[in-house]
Amino acid sequence: MTNNTNSQTKLALYRRMQIIRLTEEELARCHQRGLVLGACHTYVGEEAIAPSVCAHLGPDDPVFSTHRGHGHALAKGAHPRELMAELFGRETGLSRGRGGSMHLFSPEIGMMGTSGIVGPCILQACGGGYSSKLMQTGRVAVAFFGDGASNNGAFHEGLNMAAIWKLPVLFICENNQFATEIPFAYASGNPSVGNRGSAYGIPGFELDGNDALTIHRVAGEAVARARAGDGPTLIECKTYRTRAHAEGMGDFGYRTREDVDAWKLRCPIARLRQQLIADGSATEVELDAIDAEVKSLVEESRRFAEGSAWPSANDATRHVYCEQPSPPRSPIRNVIPAPSSETREITYTQATHEALSEEMAKNPRIFVMGEGIGVRGGNFKTTAGLFDIYGPVRLCDTPICERGFVGLACGAAMTGTRPVIDFMFADFVMDSVGEIVNQIAKMQYMSSGRLKMPVLLRGCIGIGHSAATHHSGSYYAMYGQVPGLRVVVPSNPFDAKGLLKRALNCDDPVLFLEHRELLTVKGTVPTEEYEIEFGKASVVRTGRDVTVVALARMVQQTLSVCEELERDGISVEVVDPRTVLPLDVETILKSVAKTGRLLIVDEPPASCGFAGEIAAQVAAHGFNDLDAPIYRLNGAFAPTPYSPPLEGAVVPSPQAIAKTIRELMEE
Amino acid sequence: MAVEIRVPRLGWSMEEGTFLGWLKQEGEAVKSGDVLYELEGEKATQEIESLDVGVLRIPANAPVPGSVVAVGALLGYLVSDGEAIPDTSPTRERGEADTNPTRERGRALHETTNPESRASNPESVTLNPERGGAPALADASGYMDRVIASPRARRVATELGVDWTRLKGSGRNGRVRERDVRAATATDGTRSTFSPRRRVIADRMLASQRQTASVTLTTRADATQLVRLREQFKASKTPTIVPSYADIIAKLAVTVLRQYPHMASRWDGDRLIEPTMTDDLAIGIAVDTDGGLLVPVIPQVSRLSVRQVAERSRELIEKARAGKLSTAEMQGGVFTITNLGAYGIDAFTPIINVPETAILGLGAIRREPVVIERDQIVIRDLITLSLTFDHRVTDGAPAARFLQTIRAAIEDAAVWLLN
Ligand SMILES: Cc1ncc(C[n+]2csc(CCOP(=O)(O)OP(=O)(O)O)c2C)c(N)n1
Ligand SMILES: [Mg+2]
Repeated sequence: MTNNTNSQTKLALYRRMQIIRLTEEELARCHQRGLVLGACHTYVGEEAIAPSVCAHLGPDDPVFSTHRGHGHALAKGAHPRELMAELFGRETGLSRGRGGSMHLFSPEIGMMGTSGIVGPCILQACGGGYSSKLMQTGRVAVAFFGDGASNNGAFHEGLNMAAIWKLPVLFICENNQFATEIPFAYASGNPSVGNRGSAYGIPGFELDGNDALTIHRVAGEAVARARAGDGPTLIECKTYRTRAHAEGMGDFGYRTREDVDAWKLRCPIARLRQQLIADGSATEVELDAIDAEVKSLVEESRRFAEGSAWPSANDATRHVYCEQPSPPRSPIRNVIPAPSSETREITYTQATHEALSEEMAKNPRIFVMGEGIGVRGGNFKTTAGLFDIYGPVRLCDTPICERGFVGLACGAAMTGTRPVIDFMFADFVMDSVGEIVNQIAKMQYMSSGRLKMPVLLRGCIGIGHSAATHHSGSYYAMYGQVPGLRVVVPSNPFDAKGLLKRALNCDDPVLFLEHRELLTVKGTVPTEEYEIEFGKASVVRTGRDVTVVALARMVQQTLSVCEELERDGISVEVVDPRTVLPLDVETILKSVAKTGRLLIVDEPPASCGFAGEIAAQVAAHGFNDLDAPIYRLNGAFAPTPYSPPLEGAVVPSPQAIAKTIRELMEE
Repeated sequence: MAVEIRVPRLGWSMEEGTFLGWLKQEGEAVKSGDVLYELEGEKATQEIESLDVGVLRIPANAPVPGSVVAVGALLGYLVSDGEAIPDTSPTRERGEADTNPTRERGRALHETTNPESRASNPESVTLNPERGGAPALADASGYMDRVIASPRARRVATELGVDWTRLKGSGRNGRVRERDVRAATATDGTRSTFSPRRRVIADRMLASQRQTASVTLTTRADATQLVRLREQFKASKTPTIVPSYADIIAKLAVTVLRQYPHMASRWDGDRLIEPTMTDDLAIGIAVDTDGGLLVPVIPQVSRLSVRQVAERSRELIEKARAGKLSTAEMQGGVFTITNLGAYGIDAFTPIINVPETAILGLGAIRREPVVIERDQIVIRDLITLSLTFDHRVTDGAPAARFLQTIRAAIEDAAVWLLN
């Protein structure tokens, strides 16, 4: 670096910091005027950090940030206009009005989002690093987060994953000494964040967070290490926010005015200004000119934001799902074929294995993560043999940190790869529900459709064989509540293969739930490759008198009693929606229009569930077709017990299904 | 340029606060970071710092300490030295937040929130299938009296023209199901011969038989004058409508009913209402139509001429046959006339048109030899009259006297009509 470039870099740094300061102060004013509609956490006092780190990044290097993210967005190159417009709720805002202060997206310049949840950005940065490693792009991912986040599980899981896989990630902890009003000194047993790096086997630094030039130097070295494949770095920047936690909040219940005033004197911008003048990089006049230019830039930005249009209410539900989905890679085939020379009888597990290996062969962006899915080939043989072909980066065994690797998957999908998370049991996913519901599901929406979220989350569900209560939950009704997810629950090998192939080509996040009692069930599967569309129910058996809607194992249980009922003159039609989200209500309505009777057989408990949803849909849209009340047959409202007599009592049996159908015929 | 000092929002949902007072004096110089004033928000009192630099100017009509102020309300200005207060009125309380469409939209969304979901009580959820909300048999009193039908049965009933309220349901708690509706139609799929209209007639007939103590009296009357009267109408040069026997007798009956008002009484629930002298008496005329018996009612018969009665009844009969009679046109009668004479019937036992008290049946008019004074035999037109009356209302003798008077009126029709 010549002296010349050096001083240019410093001036750019100064300007960036000043943009942040003046924008934040203007936002504070606008908050008082009521122009900023929601929360507003400013970066005032901490301006040295983000510009000094981001100075080493290109637009392709992804940055993941927190609730205090204005400075990160501006440092990454976002225009103050778009930032202000977003906080004012306008169409021209960074997230087109869908996000606000805590959901700022500008993926075009590598600003991958701020988050209203403390912690996930750390894991998402690991995902950004993983994409870089898988695709060998040389990109470096950065997470900015507070001292509060450093005590969150995401920090520990993230740093550990980054360490073991040597991910190109910078973890920048902005230790402003408080998490809201809780002092870091109280919340952490170890007074240093930086020295925790050694606990994970990675370099850690503890810096003066108000010293831009030092941060700039250390971050530059860390970025170079990361690009060279030498793994992650943790950098703690000790700093102080000189405004309240959020605009409008009181500030002196937990700290004194004197403390704040003292820190104001340590202003990072004033400090850099002095350094620049002292080392001859700039004159007062030059810096004053920058100040004036930035001042008018910020004023112009506010006027732009204030004058910007509101988004249209008609668009409120756009971007929940990808609007330009990728086309299928195999022909669509929704109906199960009759056995022929062009089909085979294979098991459910074989079917999903075929789907995964066929798609992995076609798409180098697909990678699988899970516990024991590498050399071992998966607890349920879901990945058997694939490790030998694709190696440890595409078949990645994980530590036992479900939240961590699901959060990582989110960041990976945001940065262009296609993670498959293999959970073994869907019960284990519970540890990562926040990442699924708050991050993965909402990401496309929050970014107004500029991010795609091709994440596949798969795992076993279902009661049977004394699995007991931590290995038997189904949970699909819960996920059915979440806008942005696709929820797939196949009942046979044909559906399982076609739907998994669709899931692996879908740009939306998919939960793929496989009933463990079905894994060894055989079924007819075409030799040719195919995909099954989401949201197309399958009429598994046609009948006249009563419609039974069921998913997964309950489809098989229902089918097992249909012949017996037929002999007694009761003709049963069985409809398998196959996907809970999207739900094919139309096929169900058509069937009920024919039969006039509806029973929903559903393994999990009834309350607020899948059966209730279908019942409500049919009551609303098929009322005049109903010749009897709608029945639900659900599992008992209890955790799953272990002992067979108890276990049998909480799940709908074939006998119970037959009895219920007979009762329904009496209505 | 003057900087406005406005009430900030302290906390997410604050809409107003209490302005507690200035911590700087009017005219005092303010630095950025100085505390300016105290404001009480939702949770606590705060000293508000200035972000800007200037001289504090408090307009005359600015909020006084202690007043409640809306978020966004103007409190004062920071001006540069010598600068005047801008011309804005501080009473313009709120800034742009007022025009914020998101608040309104939030409200609209609440209103359209789907109310259909009713949370189920988890404790009641067991392996027993849930029945669709029908009350248990135990508290089915009242419920059982009402005919219930599935939505589908109702729809099919409408399609097939079946009155499901009359069906016996084969479903649980007697619910009428689709199959019951279909069974009520002929097996070849054609319509039931027992139409909804027939069902109404059947009901009324049965109700009459059940509710009244009916007795039928018969007598014969000399209808020669009636026949002649009609001949005259027929032969008239002025084109006119020819009244039917029923029309003429309706007119006569009204006159007779004035003398026997209890024969024109109507039941209203438990009360029997007898018409007063000033009431207009309306007479029902039974009409045979394709769909079955209908009884249109001619109102205000005493005010109408025979010709007008004829016109009115002709009109109502046509409507009845065309199926266009309104319910109102079948209500309010006090007495009914039914005529089977055209079918050669003489005496019969008409059924009282409840809630009326009596009904008069007209038989065929036959030319017959009649023995008059001095054992002379002459040819006369004779009609058989059948009067059914409700013995609860009146007794045999008064009813007989009424019939006798009707007979007299028929036999002397010209005089009675002109009187
Ligand atoms: C998971 C989660 N818990 C709690 C909150 C509420 N919350 C928002 S900011 C914050 C403090 C965060 O402190 P720190 O990480 O130090 O960041 P700072 O605000 O100091 O920049 C809390 C608790 C949240 N947003 N997410
Ligand atoms: Mg903090």
